[in-house]
Order: sequence, then C-alpha cells, then structure tokens
Amino acid sequence: MADNLTLILFLPMLGGLILTLLPSSKPVLVKFWANLVLGCNALWTLTLLGRFDATHDLQFIQRLPWIPSLGAEFFLGVDGYSMLLFAMTSAVGFLASLASWNAIDTRLKEFYVSLLILQSCVAGVFLAVDALLFFVFFEASLIPMFFLIAIWGGEQRRMAAMKFIVYTVAGSMLLLVGLLLLYFEHWRQTGFFSFSLPALWATKPEGDLGLWIFWLMFAGLAVKVPMAPFHTWLPDAHTEAPTVGSVYLASIMLKMGTYGFLRLVLPGVPETVKQANVLWWMSVLALIAIVYGALVCLKQKDWKRLIAYSSVSHMGFCMLGMFSLNPAGISGSMLQQVNHGISTGLLFILVGLMYERRHTREISEYGGLFGPMPAFSFVFLIAAVSSMGLPPLNGFVGELRILTGAFEMSVPWALWAGLGVVLTVAYLLWCYQRVTLGETSAKNLGLADLSGREWAVVLPFLIAAIGIGVYPQPAFDMLERPVKQIMEKVRPNYYAQSN
Amino acid sequence: MPQLNAVPMSWYLILSAILFTLGVAGFLFRRNIITVFMSIELMLNAVNLSFVAFSHQLRQVDGQIFTFFVMVVAAAEAAVGLAIILTVFKNRQTLSIDEVSSLKN
Amino acid sequence: MQFNNLFSILPAAVLALFGCVLLLLRFDSSRPYLIFLAFAELLAAIGLWRQTDFLGFTGFRGAILIDPFGIAFNAICLVAGLICAVGAYRYMEREDEDHPEFYGLILLAQSGMYLMNSGTELITVFIGLEITAVSFYSLTGFLRSNPRSSEAALKYLLLGAFSSGLLLYGFSILYGLSGSTHYLNIASMLATRNSRDPLILMAILPIVLGLLFKIAAAPLHMWAPDAYEGAPTPVTAYLATASKAAGFALLLRLILGPLHDLRPAWEGLITFAAIASLTVGNLAAITQSSTKRLLAYSSIGHVGYILLGLVAGNKTGIEAMLLYLLVYTLMTTGAFLLLSALDREGVTDFRGLLYRHPGVALLMILLLLSLAGLPPTAGFVAKYMIFLSLVQARQYWVAVIAALYVAVSLYYYFRIIREMLHNPDDSPATLTISTGWRAAVGLTAILSLGLGLNPEPVLAWARSALR
Repeated sequence: MADNLTLILFLPMLGGLILTLLPSSKPVLVKFWANLVLGCNALWTLTLLGRFDATHDLQFIQRLPWIPSLGAEFFLGVDGYSMLLFAMTSAVGFLASLASWNAIDTRLKEFYVSLLILQSCVAGVFLAVDALLFFVFFEASLIPMFFLIAIWGGEQRRMAAMKFIVYTVAGSMLLLVGLLLLYFEHWRQTGFFSFSLPALWATKPEGDLGLWIFWLMFAGLAVKVPMAPFHTWLPDAHTEAPTVGSVYLASIMLKMGTYGFLRLVLPGVPETVKQANVLWWMSVLALIAIVYGALVCLKQKDWKRLIAYSSVSHMGFCMLGMFSLNPAGISGSMLQQVNHGISTGLLFILVGLMYERRHTREISEYGGLFGPMPAFSFVFLIAAVSSMGLPPLNGFVGELRILTGAFEMSVPWALWAGLGVVLTVAYLLWCYQRVTLGETSAKNLGLADLSGREWAVVLPFLIAAIGIGVYPQPAFDMLERPVKQIMEKVRPNYYAQSN
Repeated sequence: MPQLNAVPMSWYLILSAILFTLGVAGFLFRRNIITVFMSIELMLNAVNLSFVAFSHQLRQVDGQIFTFFVMVVAAAEAAVGLAIILTVFKNRQTLSIDEVSSLKN
Repeated sequence: MQFNNLFSILPAAVLALFGCVLLLLRFDSSRPYLIFLAFAELLAAIGLWRQTDFLGFTGFRGAILIDPFGIAFNAICLVAGLICAVGAYRYMEREDEDHPEFYGLILLAQSGMYLMNSGTELITVFIGLEITAVSFYSLTGFLRSNPRSSEAALKYLLLGAFSSGLLLYGFSILYGLSGSTHYLNIASMLATRNSRDPLILMAILPIVLGLLFKIAAAPLHMWAPDAYEGAPTPVTAYLATASKAAGFALLLRLILGPLHDLRPAWEGLITFAAIASLTVGNLAAITQSSTKRLLAYSSIGHVGYILLGLVAGNKTGIEAMLLYLLVYTLMTTGAFLLLSALDREGVTDFRGLLYRHPGVALLMILLLLSLAGLPPTAGFVAKYMIFLSLVQARQYWVAVIAALYVAVSLYYYFRIIREMLHNPDDSPATLTISTGWRAAVGLTAILSLGLGLNPEPVLAWARSALR
C-alpha cells in the first residue's frame, strides 16, 4: 500500500476531482485542500525516497495490462534516476503551490484543479516504464499547462500558451513516429509488440533506421529540453506563466526532455548515438545553447525572462554531459537536472514573491532590496550561487562532473563549457547586484521581508541545495546503476578499458 | 441485328466519350444553373450509351438493366434538383452560378 | 433462399419503410417523430446484430454480402444517424423547420448507406449511393427560406451529380472490360489485366475520382466547405460522418476487392489525394472565421489521415481506417452538434463560453482535443494507428508530414479553445440545449475520452471487422 506507485501517481488527480465538489465560494478551503493534497503527495514521495534501495534497478513495480493488442502496459517503476526526479517533482510542485497562496485571486478552484491534474501528469512521465504510457503522460501534461498559462498568465498569456502548445506538440508527434519506428523494429526482431523500455532497449537498431529514429526522437525532445534552435517558445511561456506555472515548466517539464533522451535515445539507439557526426552535432548544439543562453541573459531587462533564458543555458550543460557518453558526464547530467529543478525553481519563486509585492518584473524597478529585505536578499544570493555552480552548493557538484565528462571527451568542448560557467556567474551576479545592492528607491523602501509561509517555502530549497552540495554521495549512489545501465548499452567496453 | 454490327464497337465508345467530355465541359464552363444541370444529364446519357453498347457486344442484359436504373436515378435527381434550383431562384432571383456565392471565406 | 434474400437487406428495408411512413405523419411536436426514428434505428440495429450469425451469406445473387466489414460500417452510420437526429430536434424547432420529412429523410439516407456499405455489385451500390445523395441534397437545403441553405444544397447537388456521372462512366468501362457487374466476377476477369492498360486507367480513374468527391478529399473537396457551412448544423454533422463513412466503405470494397491487384493504377492518385487533403484541409482551416467552416476544412484534413491508411496499404492500415472513421464519427458529430446549440457560428462567438457555460465548454474542449489527436483521447489512438501502419509500410516521410500537420491542426483547434478563455462579450451567443442534445453530445465526448483511455475494445472491434 505504502509503496503503491499507482496510488501515489493518481493521488493529486483524485484530490483534484474531490476539489471540484468543494464550494468555490470558500477560497481558503480550496487553497487549503489543494495544498494539503500536494503536501501529502510530497511527503509520501519523500518516504518512498527514504525506502529506495540504491543497490537495485527498478523498484516499486506496478505492472498491469493496458492495451494488450499493442503491447502497451500500465507499467510503473522507479530506478535511482527517476526516483530523484520524481521526488524533486513532488516536492517542488508542492512548494511552488504553497508559494502561490496569495498569487491567484480569480477562478481559484479551476486553478487548483488544473494544478493537481498537472502534478499527476508530470509525475506519470517519470514513473512510466512503458514508452507509450510515458508518451501519453508527456502529452497530457501539456493540456493543464496550457490552461495555467492561458488563463492565469501575464499580459501576453494566450499567445505564449498557443506558442507553447503548438511547438511542443509538433515535436512530440515526431517523437511518436520515432518511437513507433523503434517499436516496430522491436517487433520485427522478436515477433511480439512491446512498449516496455527494457524490451525496446534490447532492439539496437542500426544504420539508416537508427538515424531516422534518432533524429525523429531528437526533434521531439529537443523542443522540450529545449535545445538551441528550438527554444523560442520557452522565454514567452516561462515569462507569461504564473509563478507556479513557471516553476513547473522550468523545474519539471524541461526535465521530461532530458529524461526522454536518457530513457529513449541513448539506450534506444546506442549504435547511432556513438557515431562521430551525431556526437558532433549534439555537442555543438549543446555548447551553442550554453553560450547563447548566457549571452542573452546578460542583456535581459526582465527579471523573469532572464531566469527563463538561464534555463536554456543550464539545460545545455545537461545535454553536453549526457553526450559525453561517459559515467562522469551522464551522472553529472542527471544530477544537474535535479539541481536545476531546485535552483531555478527557487529563483522563479523568489521572482514571484517580488512580483506579488511590486507587480513588475523589470530589474530596473528594483535595487537596494538588501535594506528592506535582508532575508530575501540572502536567500536570493544562495539561489543565485546554486545556479552559478559555485561551491559549496549543489550546482557545483553537477557542473564539475559534467565538465569532467566533457573534458574526457574533448578538451575544446570543456573549455567552451567553461566559458559558459563564467558567463553564468557574470549574468547572475550582475542581476543580483542590480536587484539587491545600491540605493534603495522610495518604491522599495516599505517592502515586507519574507513571511513565515514564505520561509517555509524557501527553507526546503535551501536545505536541498546545501545538502546536495555538501554531501552528494547518496545521490551519486542512486545514480550509479542507471548510469551503468546506459553505459553498458552505449559503450559496453568502457569499464573494461578504464580498469 | 446486322446493321448494328456494321458499326464497330469502338465507334460507340468514342461517341460516348465525346458526349461525356461535352457534358464535363458544359458543367465546367456554362454559367446558367439549368444548363449546368442539363450538362450533367448529358454525361449520364453518355454513360447509358456505353452501357448499352457494351451490353450488346457482350450479349448480356446487365448493362441495359443498369441503363434503366441510371434513367430512374436521373429522373429522381432532376426532381429534387429542380426543386432546389427553384428555392434558390425564390431566395435570390437569379440563375447564374457566379451570383450564387454567399458562402465564401 | 427467399428468406435469405430479404434478410440480407432487412435493415435497409426497415429504414426505408419507416422513412416513408414518417413522411405521412403529422404531429404537433417533433418528439413523436424522434421516437419513431429511434424505433426504426433500433429495429435496424437488431437486424444488423442478427446478421452476425449469417456471416458470409449473400443476398440477391451476390449483390449484398453479409460480412463483418459491412456490419461495422453500418454500425457507424446507424450511430451517427441516431446521434444527429437526437441532437437535432431543438435546433430544427429553433429554425422553425421541424417537419417529419427531416426525420424521414435521415432514415432514407440511412437505408441508402446500408446498400453502399454492404453492396458488392455495381448497380446495387450505385442505387445506394444515389438514395443517400438525393436524401442529403434535400436535407442540406432543408431550411428553405434560408438562402445559404439552398445555396449549399445547390452546390452539393451539382457537384454530387457530376461526381456520380464520373463514377458511372468508370462503372460502364469496368462493366465493358469484365462483362459483369458483380465484384467477384470483375475481380476474376481483371486479374490478368495489366495495370498500365489505358482502358483500365479509363475505368479506375473516374471511379476513384468520383469516390474522392463523395468523401470530400482534396483536390475534389471544394463542395464540402460550402455544403457543410450552409446545411443545417445537425445535417452537417450527419453529412460529414455517415455519408463519408459509407463513401469510404464503397471505396474500400472496390479497391480491396476487384481493383486490388491493380494497385499501381490507383496508388499514386490516392497518395496524392491523401497528402493534398492534409495540406488543404489543415492550412485552409487556419484562416477561417466561421467555426462551422473551420470544422469543415478540418474534416477534409481528417479524410487525408484516413486515406493514409490506404497509402500504407497493409492490414494495420485498413484497421486504422476503420478505427479512425469510428472515432472521427463520434468526435465530429459531437463537435457539430455542440455548435448547433449556439445561435451564431463565428470562432469569436465562443468567447467566454468556459465561464458562462463551463459544462458545455468542457465538452467542446474534450472533443477538440480528440479531433486534434492529443492523448489521452480516442483521436490520439486513431492517429497512432495510422502512423503505425505508415511505419510498417516504411513510408517514413509520409509519416513525418502527417505528424507535423497534427501541430498545424492543433493551432486552429486551440484558436477556439483560446476564445473560450477570453472574458465574455457584451452580447454573447445564446445556447439552446435539449435533453436529447445533452445525451448525444455527452455520449460522444465521454466516448472520445473513454476510448482513448482504454482503446482495447475498439481495436478488437476493428480487427474483427476485417477478418
């Protein structure tokens, strides 16, 4: 019962259904109920994390027939990688919702219903061990997110929501075709249809077919990550979404893309991924994302947009580590995904808190916040440092691993990525300086510092950021087996050679 | 029927094809609704001709039976069609195709 | 033998009989007509269900074949007819045209579709086609005093009759080549023919073109947006689904039967029509300001998807077509009927619907998501099967194009959803809702979702229909 992933997966959705029955005339009850459900969900997930056994692969397995004639199953389970992302998803989701306690004042019930459904959908992506189930959750999560952006977003919300959904669906339909190619190749080799990931991993398509599958899946996932030329939906969607939507988008939904790469692409078409030209393209695109994202951040005047673009840069690091195709790079990429969820989630929440107070996102409107809001400035500093990748916080551990991996693959890549790190430090420090230091203008003088509820929101983030930064070993222990699993597909001889 | 046999089969088919093409051309290029409708009747009659010719050549009645059905259907279509043309005329006082075009983007 | 003959057309006979009787009835309200119609459909459905015990039997010397394929298509048409009629009566009352003929013509069209779905002989299917078409001409122009309705009927009539002429010309050549009007005989006579033979092309080209007209596939689609827009909205729902399904049944029976071995002769044309329909339907829908016209163009796009199953040409492809048609019928009847409740049809008339009528808006959102093909709706399962069949046939580029058009279609479907999220206008469109409408639209929406969550029953149904 306590380990039942199906229950924990559908708990938020169930809470959302019950929420529809509550009277919308009692906003506090609605808020309380939604946060209670999300809180229970987060706590439950964390107990699951505690019981997770890092010495085994898939755990807490739930396997039921779903569409037998297509070979699709209702197959849930977690390994170290998905467990970390799932725990991050539940926790960040709850905290983002708690942070938005006062942010939404219109159509409150509908807001929380969308949010609860969204939580179930995104959790499903990380829990599914069946590729079709993965895809269904992957797509289904777009619908509540569309409504979150289009109803409760900023000025340009409808345009941003349309852009978001059209872009991502264009990609994911191609992903579907790629997935079908792999699935059909598996049928051709074995004579039975199956969407379960272990079955698809055994397929190993080669040659042209491998390239087709790779590029189709790439198109779908690259939009989601987003990789450099496909990122144009992101700044609009992230900026226009309400705070909680931005947090979900940045912390959780971007990870679906990298998660897809590590679950479907690397182990799915290992022969193709190894090809030199494919690796070249991937690393170049990742480096472009890193450097370009950081450069764009430097000239942003909009605080929220700056953080949105910083995601492009950070996700570039994850892609670079992954395509280093060595344990350091891949484990760094996996950990960095969690780190990015924590640091960027916190940054978006902090911007959201300021937006509630001042109703502007212009960096120039702020300045000197250290005077009236010392606690906020302190938390913002930690979040920024965590995002920059400086010791002793979590970002450092992940980026170091990624750079090690990249270095092992190619020195110039690592140098370019190093430039990215420098730029990241530059734009975040500059932003920090503009927001918190200097003269405090009259408009900002009377601002209240963090309240008790806000402290409750940011504190878990700080603990996680410092915890992972100081003592990352448990996380790496959890990632060891998933990384090894991928390495055995991609470079079966790697461990033998290095010993 | 020696007289009929004197004319080769292909001639019937060519005549039918010409009539059919005339019908299509009339359908495409005429602008009066009634004329357009008559062009369609011409197409159907071209079809009837080829059915009868084939039927005769194959020494079967199937084709001729088909022709009867086509005639019946054409009559039914004409009845409904003229009724529709009448309502269009009542609503618009015109029978030119170009002027009946309120349904556009 | 005699029993067998009558039994093979029993559903059509019942439908035609009740349809004719309906023309003679006069009541004060439309409810008795509806009950009468539902009773006839029920009887026909029972007849159809009884036919499952007589699979493989033929009636009238092979003119009618009782097989799972025909039963499946007839079931689609019956469902569409019933849903449209049940959802329509308040609309017809509002337009002040609630005459018994409306329901009678629905039944008559249905009996014609039965012959199209089950006929395996040229004369039979031609008669079925024309019974259907003539009934639909009248239904389209049913709002006599509305110039748009009669104009739509005129366009549909002229182009429909023209396409019948084309089809007949092809039939006559086919008859001349094979000496028979029965599919089985035609198949055996054509088996030795070369597919490049000009006479074969002269037969196949007009037949395929005529049928593409009937299913409203590009480049022969131009009647569809006009006819769909001008027709009374419930008739549009019926026309866009049942008549299209019957057209597909006729096309499939011909192409998979007598013309199967001549694949090179029609393959190119079908592929072209599929891609062109996807392109025309999806791109033209983007700019429409009338929701009805938008849905009309989107239905052309859907025809493109369905035809892709034939482009793939394998067993999965045909199964996918059947599945797609069923799902398409559900969601399209639902969407058009929902539209029929609004007294205006512009895309902007949906403005604020989510806040004024959240239930109705949610149903529409569900149907639109299904039309767009997003999981977890039935529309996704249908598109999934089409993509799978293309992948199996190694038509990767076609699959990529089809996948990208999903994103295009998403844009215009979400335009409607986006309007719903705006704050309401000063003069919002008003809704006319009846119990029947609620049942009909609710059923389609629930099935669109339910069959997406658990598609196994429909997959099994499609497979069994092609045994």
